[in-house]
Formats: sequence, C-alpha cells, structure tokens
Amino acid sequence: MTLETILQVAAGGLLMGLIYALVAAGLSLIFGLMDVVNFAHGELMMLAMYAVFVIWDASGLDPMLQLPLVAALLFGTGMVIYRGLIARALSVQFNRGMVQIFVTFGLAIFIRGAAQFVWGGDFKSVNATWLAGRSWNFGGVYLPLPQLAASVVCLAAFAGLLLISRTEFGKALEATREDRDAVALIGIDRDRIFALGWGLGAGAVGIAGVMLAGFYYVGPNVGVSFALIAYVTVALGGFGSMLGALVAGLLIGEVEAFTAAVLEPSLKQIGVFAVYLGVLMFRPRGLFGKL
Amino acid sequence: MDRRQFIIGAGAMGASAAAMGSTAARAADDVVIGVVYPLTGNGAAVGLDAKAAYEVAARIINDTHPAIGVSMGKGGGLDKLGGAKIRLVFADSQNDPQKARAEAERLITQDKAVAIVGSYTSATGATISQVTERYEVPYMSADNSSPSLHQRGLKWFFRTSPHDEMFTKGMFDFLSDVAKKTGRPAKTVALFYEDSIFGTDSSNVQRKLAAAAGMQVVADIRYRASSPSLSTEAQKLKAANADVILPSSYTSDAILILRAMAEIGYKPKAVLAQAAGFQESAFMQGAAALAEGVMSRSSFALDADKLRPAIPVVNALYKDHNKKDLNDNTSREITALLTLADAINRAGTAKPDAIRAALVGTDIPGSQTIMPWAGVKFDENGQNTLCNPVIQQVFDGSYKTVWPFDLAAKDVIWTVGT
Amino acid sequence: MDNFITRRRRHELMVAGGLLVVAIVVPLFIRDVTALNVIILSLLFAGLSQAWNILGGYCGQISLGHALYFGMGSYVSTLLYVHGAIPPSIGMFAGAAVGGLAALLVGWPCFRLSGHYYAIATVVVGEIGYLLFLNWDYVGGATGVYIPIAKPSLLNLQFGKDKLPYLYVVLAFCAATWLAAWLIEGSRWGYAWRAVKDDMVAARSLGVNIFSSKMAAAAISGAFTGLGGAIYGLYVGYIDPDSVMAGHFSILIALPAVLGGVGTLWGPILGAALLIPMKELSSSYLGGSGRGVDLMLYGAMIVVVALAQPQGVVSLFRRRAHGPA
Repeated sequence: MTLETILQVAAGGLLMGLIYALVAAGLSLIFGLMDVVNFAHGELMMLAMYAVFVIWDASGLDPMLQLPLVAALLFGTGMVIYRGLIARALSVQFNRGMVQIFVTFGLAIFIRGAAQFVWGGDFKSVNATWLAGRSWNFGGVYLPLPQLAASVVCLAAFAGLLLISRTEFGKALEATREDRDAVALIGIDRDRIFALGWGLGAGAVGIAGVMLAGFYYVGPNVGVSFALIAYVTVALGGFGSMLGALVAGLLIGEVEAFTAAVLEPSLKQIGVFAVYLGVLMFRPRGLFGKL
Repeated sequence: MDRRQFIIGAGAMGASAAAMGSTAARAADDVVIGVVYPLTGNGAAVGLDAKAAYEVAARIINDTHPAIGVSMGKGGGLDKLGGAKIRLVFADSQNDPQKARAEAERLITQDKAVAIVGSYTSATGATISQVTERYEVPYMSADNSSPSLHQRGLKWFFRTSPHDEMFTKGMFDFLSDVAKKTGRPAKTVALFYEDSIFGTDSSNVQRKLAAAAGMQVVADIRYRASSPSLSTEAQKLKAANADVILPSSYTSDAILILRAMAEIGYKPKAVLAQAAGFQESAFMQGAAALAEGVMSRSSFALDADKLRPAIPVVNALYKDHNKKDLNDNTSREITALLTLADAINRAGTAKPDAIRAALVGTDIPGSQTIMPWAGVKFDENGQNTLCNPVIQQVFDGSYKTVWPFDLAAKDVIWTVGT
Repeated sequence: MDNFITRRRRHELMVAGGLLVVAIVVPLFIRDVTALNVIILSLLFAGLSQAWNILGGYCGQISLGHALYFGMGSYVSTLLYVHGAIPPSIGMFAGAAVGGLAALLVGWPCFRLSGHYYAIATVVVGEIGYLLFLNWDYVGGATGVYIPIAKPSLLNLQFGKDKLPYLYVVLAFCAATWLAAWLIEGSRWGYAWRAVKDDMVAARSLGVNIFSSKMAAAAISGAFTGLGGAIYGLYVGYIDPDSVMAGHFSILIALPAVLGGVGTLWGPILGAALLIPMKELSSSYLGGSGRGVDLMLYGAMIVVVALAQPQGVVSLFRRRAHGPA
C-alpha cells in the first residue's frame, strides 16, 4: 500500500467512525440513564432519514437546513416512545430486562413494516444537495464534503451533549442515573427526566440520520446494519459512557477500514468484532464503562 | 390449528385476487398460477415491481384488446381452454428459502396452482424448484440467474432467461467486439461483487472468462452487501485502476460504490455491470449524473422497438400500472408468464404433466417476444438456449443499447486506452 | 413442601403425556399441508426455544447468538450427508455434538461478562460465525448446500411430499427438550442454576461453582439447538448462511420463551404456539399485498404481549390454578 492509500483509508475510517460514534451516543445515553437497550435505535435513524427525504422531495430544502427541524421531530418521537411504551415496560414487576428488550425489538419490526407501508420498498436518495459530490483534495487524499460536514456536526453534537451534562438538567440526569429512587426525595421528577433522556437519545441519532441522508440511500432496512455496529460501539466504549462511545466509534471506523484494506472487504466486520471481543477479555465492561 | 382461520384467509386472498383488475368474473375453469417473490424485507423493491409486471402480463393474456405482437397477445384468455382466464395468486417469500418452499407448497395444495413462477433470488429458487419437483408441477424461473439451478437434472424446472454464464459470456463477447472495432482492447479488469450467491456465481464465471480472454484481473474484491460504507473498497478499485470494472451488486450498493469512487476523485475508465441493481430505476435516481457512461448487460432493450414493435405497447401498459419503464427484470417476468401461458394453451388442458410436455415443445420465435432474443426453446435441462443478452450504456439518465452492434440504438462511448 | 413439589412435578408429567397423545392423534386428521407446515414450525421453535430456555431462562444467561449453534448443527449434518454419505438420522446427532461444543467454546470466554455485555458478545460471536461461513468455500460459502433428494425413509429423514413423518420427528425433538427441562428442574443442577440466575453471591456462598454451572447449561442448550438446526436443514432441503445462521434466528429462538414465560416449563411451548402461527399466517395471507402490513402486525403483537404479560403468557394459566395472586 502506498502512503496515499493508507492516508485515504484512515480518513475514510475517521469520517465513518464519527458517524458510528454519534449513532452510538444516543443509545449509550438512554442505556446509562435507565439501563434500557433500545433495539429500535436503527429504525429511529431510518425515520430521520425518511423525514429528510420527504421534506427535500416536497420542498427542495437542503438537508443541512433541515437539521434543527428533524432533530426536534426525533426528539419528540423519542419522548412519545418513552411515554407510550418504555414507561410501561419499566413499570412491570417481573422480567423487566426481557420486557424492555422485546418491546423495543417489536417496535423496530413495526416501524420497518410501517415504513414500507408508507414509502414502499424502493430505495430513495437525496440528490443535488449543496455539498453532494464535492471533495477537498489534500495532496491526493480526498475528504468528501458531505462526510466532512457530518463529522463536524457529530463533534458539535458531542460537545452539546457534554454541555448539557453541565447544566441543571444534566445534574438531575446524573443524579437519576446514580440513584433512581432517592432523586424523588429532592424533588426531581424521575419520569420527566427519563422522557427527556429518550428525547435526547432519539434526537442524537436523528442528527446522525440527517447527516447520513446527505450521502447515503434510504430504505426500510437501512437501520439494520448501522444498529448492529452501534450496539458493538456502545458495548466497546462501555455502556453509559459518552467518551467511550466517541473513542469506540473512531476505533471501529478505523479497524473496519483497515481490515477491508488489508484483508478482504467482505471480512471487514470480522475485524471489528474480533477487536471488540479482544478488548472485552481484558476490560469486561468496555473501555470506559463503570456499569 | 384453527381451520376457520385458513378458510377465512384463503377467502380473503381469493377476493383480493379477484378484485385485482382483469379477472373480476371468476370463472370455474380459471387456471391458477402461483407467483412467489420477496414482497417484504430485503428484495421487496424488486419483488413489488415483479408483482406489477405479472399483473400486466395477465391482462395481456386475459383482457379483450387489440392484438399485441407477442405470444398470447391476442387477449381473451386461453382459447384452447374455452377462453379460460389465467388467475395469479401472489405469495411473499420474504427472501427466505424456508418461507419460499412453504408458500410454493401452499399455492399448489390450497390454491390448486398448476404452475409456479418466481422468484428473483437464487436461494429461494433452489427450494421452490425442489417443491415443484416433488409435487410434479412446472416451475417457471423468470429471473433466478444462478447456473446451479438447472444443473441438477430437475424434470419440472424451466428458465426462459439467461443464467450468469450466458450473461457473462455476452459481456466478454462485447469486450472482444469493441476491441476489434476501436483497436483499443481492455487489458485489465477489476471484479467487484457482493458476498451472496449472485455475486459468487457471477465472479466465478468472470474470473474464468477473463483468463480465457487473456485479461489480467488486477483487483478481486468480495465485499459485504449493504455495508454502511464502501470507501475502502472504492480506494482499492482506485489503486488497481483497471481498464474495466465489473460490478455485481444490488441497488443500494450500486449507488454507494459510484458515490464512493467519485468522493475520492476516481473516475473509472469503464464500468460494465452484471445488471441487477444497476438496472433499477432507484439506481438511476440515486446515482444521477454519476451513472452517465456506465455500461450494463441486460436481457432487455427498451429501445429495440424497431426490431420488436410490441415493446412500446407492453411498456405503456406497464408504465400505466407501475409508473416505471420496463427493465431487465420486469421484461423477463412478463416473458416468463407469456411463455407459460402459451404452453398451457397448447396443452389444451390445465393438467401439470400436459403443461410440462407443452413446455418441452416450446418454440417461440424472437419476434413473438418483447426480448431481443432469438426466441424461446428449452434444452433437456429446461434452460432456454436462444436468449442472448445485450449491452447497454447510460446516456442522459437512461440506458441505450450499444451491443450487439446491429441492434445498437447508440454508438458505444469507449474511453479505454484514450 | 417436598410432597407438594413431587405432586406438582408428577402432575406436569401427566399433562405433558396427555398433550403428547393429542399432538400425535390430531395431525392424523389434518390434510392441509400449510396447516401441517405451521404445526411443524411451531413444534420446532417450541423445542429450540426450550433449548434456549435451559441457558437463558433457568441459568439466566440471555444469549442472542443461538443462531450459531443452530447453523452449526444444520451444516454438520448436511455436510456429513453430502460429502461423507452419512445418513442424516445419524448425522444430526453429530450436529448436536458440534452445537454443544460450540456453545462451550463461546461460553468459556464470554461467561465472565455480565448482563448486556454478555448479550452483545453473543450477538457478535454469532455474526462472526455467519460471516465466516459466508466466506468459506469448502462449506459452500454464499452458494449454500443442496440436500440431495433421496428415497423417502427414516434413515434419510426425508419423506417426500408427506408431512406427517416430519411432524413426528419434530414432535419427538420438542418432547425431548421438554423432558430435559423437566429433569433439570427437579435435579441438583436445576437448583444450582436458578441460584446462579437469582443471586450470584448467594450461589457462591452455597458452594455452587458458577462457571461450570453456566458451562453445563450452555452445552445442553447448544446441543439441542444444533439438533434442531439439523432437522430444520433437512426439512427445508437447502441451507446457506442466510437461511440458517443469520442473526434474526437468534431472536426467533429466544422470543417464544420470552413471550411464553422465561424459565418456565411451559413458556416456550405456549410462546411458540402463539407466535409462530401468527407470524406464518400473517405473512402468508397478508404478505401477498406487499405493503408491510404483516410486519406491522407481528411487531405490534410482540410489543403488546410483552407489556401485557411481562411474566409470559404462562402466567395466565398459573393465576387460574392458584386463584388471584
């Protein structure tokens, strides 16, 4: 491999890794807060991508401009899912872990069916955006602008999540995570915190979906391959750790890119999975996990 | 098991089939044909188009209309069966071999289908053809392309369309012809194929034929289908910089790899695709300007209307029904059903063994199809031997036939060696 | 107390015997192949889910990677038949052995992980297996393996068009897994495993070897899953990584037990009796429309059952037996 190839592969891994990290961040946030693994996370991303496509198709509004709107839409969707389903799943007396796994799993299947019902089975693509098809060339290493913009937005979203954790709400979030029952005594409405947590988690994956829609196709099953990587990212970083999600996302992006470059591309996910299992042997709670 | 559920379900199915367009009056002697495709999940996009194509073919056979220049194009049902109508019953295989097998069985036993048509993916074709072999009803494969299907000595398997070996041979014949014509031969090729039965079969033949043609395979890339990113794969193609890239990919990956190559500033000299995703309208929409100049083999040529005057008529019917032009898959599906209906009509009865005998004796000239083929005639394995593919190239967002040269609507733009 | 338990266990055995007789006799009167197919799949997944239940329910290790053992079982028995001419009725036990062995190999590194880390690790191991088989040419790779059509016989475990013999083979499989779970419930192992599930610290102080308890449960669970995979492969007549090793099988194997009642004898059977007909019939009779309605129905049903009966459908029966809880 030439140096140029190595740098190009590394750049591709980095740009993809940041997307993985942001998809995983929402999952990790929800998990850290209430010990729930959301198996419909990829489907939330798919909904965000369809939202971008529908708005773009109807009005021509560039995906970048849709960012606040779709993020807000997903924030609301997350709250609704919490109020409608998850709150119920958390209130059951028995098998709470299993109930929440299969409630979100059933929801994922439902959303996939509904997407096909509404938008059909065809793949859709958002075209002719401001950034589409443009790249920056740094001495033979190309950085495609849509992915670059996605990376910048991902980093900003991480910064935003960190800022939120410094606010009053963030402290309430942290307190709720530490001790679910005690927070009620100091006047924190646990249910409201959880609902906002779901909103934030869905909003984060919504942002990832918007940026992804700028260069990726949309279809009812588009969430599936991203979701699997997101679960591995969260577990590798450590459930509940934002920093873990970021580091793990980048690591997975690079491992995937270089496995594809050095071995066969069809084996690239094996590289990711092997690294994951290897890390877990030494750190059973992931890189930064406490839970 | 609640038997009533089945009866209600079967009734609902019958009602919906009856409501579907042409077969409103459900005569007692309707001939039932089962159609198995992926209608949900991966592959649904193609399966839903296939469903529309079969509905159009059934209308051509059943409805009263001015004669169309294809076999069974007179309309008015099967005249040798007293004007009996073809009635289609659709089933969802979910792209799962187990499900495809169970649905074929259900269509044969519950709906009394006298033949099965299917099924897009080769894995589902494998199990459906085992069922039809056991139940002794014909399986008409419209679009399964794996050569392994007809090489098992099945008695009830028939395939109107070319398989991967015939398709790939067409692609290499084109490469040789274009080298003679321009004096600029392709010396190196890059294989790029997904890790499925389709990608594996396609690449195996390509590797063999490239060696036979003295071309060097400079990249041999098997990739994970529906990956989140193909940027490293694109980088490998760029590093190899072959004269011709030969992709075997479905729609989503076809869009993604063209975008990924453009993103790293790589414009391949020539792309010659093994159809599949490259022939879908969603690909054209998603790849947009990047698709310009891409070549693909096809079993169909929409622009061959001088040679086959029936094409615009059938295409108009299909477009009216499904808001798309006919493509490589949907044209083959229509041809498969018309061929089957022709055999049933010649058999003069809806008995499976008589239909099989009539299929064996099929001899439809190319002029009686919408395909650019020499015709439809099955060998002892049930494989049509007269179907030869064409090569098409994208001009201004649509495919134009460029090979065989005597069929060409446009001159090929061949940039290799310039 | 002991007396009560003995009586209840004898009662369970009698109910099972009665159900077995019903399951043998009733299909004799069913001619419809679709109905028989749904019954066969329901029994198969009841058995598979019972196998999962031994590890996931009784021992509390939520595995989402059982597709690996399922696929190994069907590949081993199929390849022995195709390459080694060993009849499937023998080969399927080799499949079971390999399934059990694979579960031990996966368990050895993974059982030190807890909770979600264990669950995700099993998903990952299952995916690795899937990808390796997809890229491994000796086992057919993505092209898959055809099981040659042979003379119908019990030795070949092929019965042509006839569904009834398959049904009895699968019934025997389902009954065997139930009996295994029943024996485990009453044995020392069963108590030890439940202790591992409920409270690891307490289990350790009682002198239970946690690691070997998990390994034993994994071996039994994996072996039965492999056996089920071998039967499934024969029934379908063609296997490829997508149709026997894909991740959704792991979920489909776990789901009946979860819906029916985790860690209970009857949960997997009830769950499968509810879930599989629902899934198959909705896709058969609604899937033809191509609108995704069957997926919506299937997904909604999982959500509703999980929320309405968190202890599983089996709790409905229990309440009736013991009065309002």
